[in-house]
Amino acid sequence: MMILASVVSVLGYAVLAGLIMLGLGTAFAVLLLIANEKLKVPVDPRVEEVYAALPHLDCGACGYPGCSGYAKAVIENPELLGGCAPGGPEAANAIAAILNLQVSKEGPPLRPVVMCRAHKPERTYYGQYQGIPSCIAANAVANVQACKFGCLGYGDCMRACKFSAMRIENGLATIDYTKCTGCTACVKACPRNLIKLVPFAHENMMVVACNSLENGKSTRAFCQVGCIGCGLCVKQSDAFAVEDNLARVDYAKYEPSGQNETAYNKCPTGVIVYRGPTAQAPREPKAKPAPTAKA
Amino acid sequence: MDTVYMLLTGFISVVLINNLVFTKFLGICPYIGVSGRIDMAFGMGLAVTFVMTLSGTLTWMIDHWLLIPLGLEVARYVAFIMVIAAAVQLVEMYVKRFFPSLYESFGIFLPLITTNCAILGLCLFLVIWGVGSLIEAVVLSFGGGIGFTIAICIMAGIRENLRMVDVPEALQGAPITLITAGLLALAFMGFAGMI
Repeated sequence: MMILASVVSVLGYAVLAGLIMLGLGTAFAVLLLIANEKLKVPVDPRVEEVYAALPHLDCGACGYPGCSGYAKAVIENPELLGGCAPGGPEAANAIAAILNLQVSKEGPPLRPVVMCRAHKPERTYYGQYQGIPSCIAANAVANVQACKFGCLGYGDCMRACKFSAMRIENGLATIDYTKCTGCTACVKACPRNLIKLVPFAHENMMVVACNSLENGKSTRAFCQVGCIGCGLCVKQSDAFAVEDNLARVDYAKYEPSGQNETAYNKCPTGVIVYRGPTAQAPREPKAKPAPTAKA
Repeated sequence: MDTVYMLLTGFISVVLINNLVFTKFLGICPYIGVSGRIDMAFGMGLAVTFVMTLSGTLTWMIDHWLLIPLGLEVARYVAFIMVIAAAVQLVEMYVKRFFPSLYESFGIFLPLITTNCAILGLCLFLVIWGVGSLIEAVVLSFGGGIGFTIAICIMAGIRENLRMVDVPEALQGAPITLITAGLLALAFMGFAGMI
């Protein structure tokens, strides 16, 4: 009897407690429901769609802290379309479809190329740099190496790369094109503006891997593999042009052809190289011509 | 006059002497997690203060006017947690609507105020301290929030300066933060016995 009575009394309390909790819960639910209606934030459904079309790398190449920031910005300002370098034309087209826009220009994806091919033994140094091991610090030192244009090899670009696509190979920044997304972080990081964007219309692209504007004689003096502006390549193919002692490939005209291959083979310093995921190793420079008698 | 004096001492007591973070070690998760920058820490402190005041007052009302008369003190925890959860939801909606950048920088820590033990701790302390009047409950819950804000802002200020200091490698990050928190708690021990 005692047990039964206590069970009944506990049950009575339980029912009361349950009712009170139910009442409180309902009251709060109604309160939140009203608040939800009053404080609703209108979200543009396109933001989600655009965000889904982006590569979600949060690399910051577009100038926004992450993909969600860019998604919001591109909806407000359609001029930013195509700002996503890793996404490339695919992402741009997808976003254009969502925003009902037309992509005006479509080209091959841009990939960075280090415009230098000299490794440490091929360069000339006047002394030994023992300062802060960063390109931006080394670049402030005059004559840190003989070439004022070439790669310093302290790896600012490597540290800027979020995809570990860059490495320093015997003093030369080298890009792993299987990992590169074209986010342009390395282009911005290089204090010598040595990394240029090249439209990769083919798997491997021919580039003149030099940035030296010195005349041929000076370039020869401090680098075995620099461009001397001799113009042999220009004679072989239209796709080359020499300006300020430096040959450059005009990618509007460039196609893999026999003429370009001849230019590649004729280059006296072997500065014309292939860059890309399956690029062959650069050619060895031809033997230096016998030194002429000094005046 | 007596009431005002009592409220004032109660307020100072809960802000400095019985500071929830430094003497009760409650609410350590946001205290460590969101104290990277002063502006964010201050925003977090304000959000916690708001939730604390709201839920402290509401729970006191529910406790005194509903649970105690009906003899249902066992249901305290459940009821209190429900009040806190609802209050946090409300704050989250408000912040999302009016301070979207603050909302993004809080990230996961805003919904986590729900499980901030400082808030449930304060609601239960109001019961333990035997707070008798509504106005006292309001002042004490507000004071608890202000105490939390002061604690997290001091911590954020120190951590901003710590960034420029050469900390030994083994102590970088969380360890030095915890050591700082310990020293701060020791410093706040100096207030004990002030009232």
